[in-house]
Amino acid sequence: MGKMSSGTASLIAEDEKRDIYKSNERLKRYIRDKVNQLLTVMGTRPLNTEELDDDTLLDLDPIGIIALSFEQVLEHLKETNKKLRIAKDQLQAVFDTAGVCISIVDPELRIVNCNEKQKELLVSGNKEVIGHYCYEVYCGKDSPTLDCPAIETIETGRPVFIREVKKKGRNFQIVTSPLKDIDGNVIGVIEVSIDVTEKKKAEEGMRQAEKLAAIGLLAAGIAHEINNPLGNILGYAKLLMRESDISVGQREKLEVIVEQAKRGNEIVRGLLDFSRQSRPAFASVSMNEVILKALKSLSNQIDRQGIKLVTNLTKIPMVEGDPKQIEQVVVNLLLNSIQAIEDMTDRTISIETGYTDSGVEVRVIDNGHGIPEEILPRIFDPFFTTKPVGKGVGLGLSICLGIIKDHDGSIHVESEKGKGSKFSFHIPAMSA
Amino acid sequence: MEDIVLDIRGQICPACLLITLREINNSKLQLKRRETRLVVRTDHRDATRTIPGAVFAMGYDVNVVKKGGYYEITLEYKNG
Repeated sequence: MGKMSSGTASLIAEDEKRDIYKSNERLKRYIRDKVNQLLTVMGTRPLNTEELDDDTLLDLDPIGIIALSFEQVLEHLKETNKKLRIAKDQLQAVFDTAGVCISIVDPELRIVNCNEKQKELLVSGNKEVIGHYCYEVYCGKDSPTLDCPAIETIETGRPVFIREVKKKGRNFQIVTSPLKDIDGNVIGVIEVSIDVTEKKKAEEGMRQAEKLAAIGLLAAGIAHEINNPLGNILGYAKLLMRESDISVGQREKLEVIVEQAKRGNEIVRGLLDFSRQSRPAFASVSMNEVILKALKSLSNQIDRQGIKLVTNLTKIPMVEGDPKQIEQVVVNLLLNSIQAIEDMTDRTISIETGYTDSGVEVRVIDNGHGIPEEILPRIFDPFFTTKPVGKGVGLGLSICLGIIKDHDGSIHVESEKGKGSKFSFHIPAMSA
Repeated sequence: MEDIVLDIRGQICPACLLITLREINNSKLQLKRRETRLVVRTDHRDATRTIPGAVFAMGYDVNVVKKGGYYEITLEYKNG
């Protein structure tokens, strides 16, 4: 192998130097490009060569600085995510345990979220509701109603309050509030429904009690005042009827007077029963025995009208009550049933006893015409009657309600037009 | 609490941002424990936009005050 001349060696060294220089320049450009990319991500403008020369740039180590900064950004993101997750869990817990129904719907009324209370009261079964239309799931309708508060909120961007609406057999107050994005656009609606069914029942009970108390006082006063003149009319009419020199026509008229005075007396007795100025005489009472006694007193009427009587008296605990008053309740309910099936061809009355969480239960069921829905709320009102004149003064059920309330019980009615009615009352059972 | 003061008057962006970020990285522990705040003095107006934008994503609160002929940018790690 021949020896390399010094000129050739120098040329190779020059070539190598040029290559290294080129390579360094390429690397510097690469570093500067990458720094500029990272600076753009950090939100600032690219570097100028005059600002930082290559040596200063390399000394500053911008890629290292930005890499460490990104590490802090990442740590901060992780911490923020953790806090957000905790806040979300807390919010979800509040959302689910709230005593009111909450649902969030999008502008097309599709359910985005709803809490447990909403599912419990307004969703049938265990079905999936997210993505379904709220009017289908909550209102059981094919399209939204004209007065839908959610639509009004979407259109106006304002909250809407509905004092009362009936859904799935319960009463609700509803407030819809707009859900807005950062620019103020409505992106959904928060529907809050408050179940006021029990509150409404309690208010109605209170109103009824106040009304009964006021009418009771009035009735007692009037009854006492009318009793004496009625007694005189009846007495004198009977005396006149004993006279031998009265004509047939006069006797007929006196009979009408006696009959009407007796009717007046019945009304007065009803008023006095209704006002119940004497407190009940409480004792240990067998409900089944009370029912059998009441049935005995009505047996003639039941037989005469050809009524099929079905009794199903089960073994039940004793109750604490006034046996005479409870018997009066049973008699009144049975009389109502008898009158309800008077013009039916197939006449059946069932009387049953049972035991529930509310206490001893008595059910009187007839297959009569049923009570129209619109008058159901008024049937316990004093002097409310649908019977013809002379057949009742509308005090029977008011008296029942008063007696049952005095016994810390409750009385209910279920009725369907054309199918009959079921009256049931509960009285707390005596503790063993 | 003793402030770390970083006087970068005369520097322009993006060097301002890089120097500030380098100081935050170097003093990360003290800043995160809230033992200190970083006070940056700059006369380059762009820095009052680029520095807050970058450090906010790292979890810092930023307060910019205009002093005589410069801006004072105070960075403090957020509490909680």
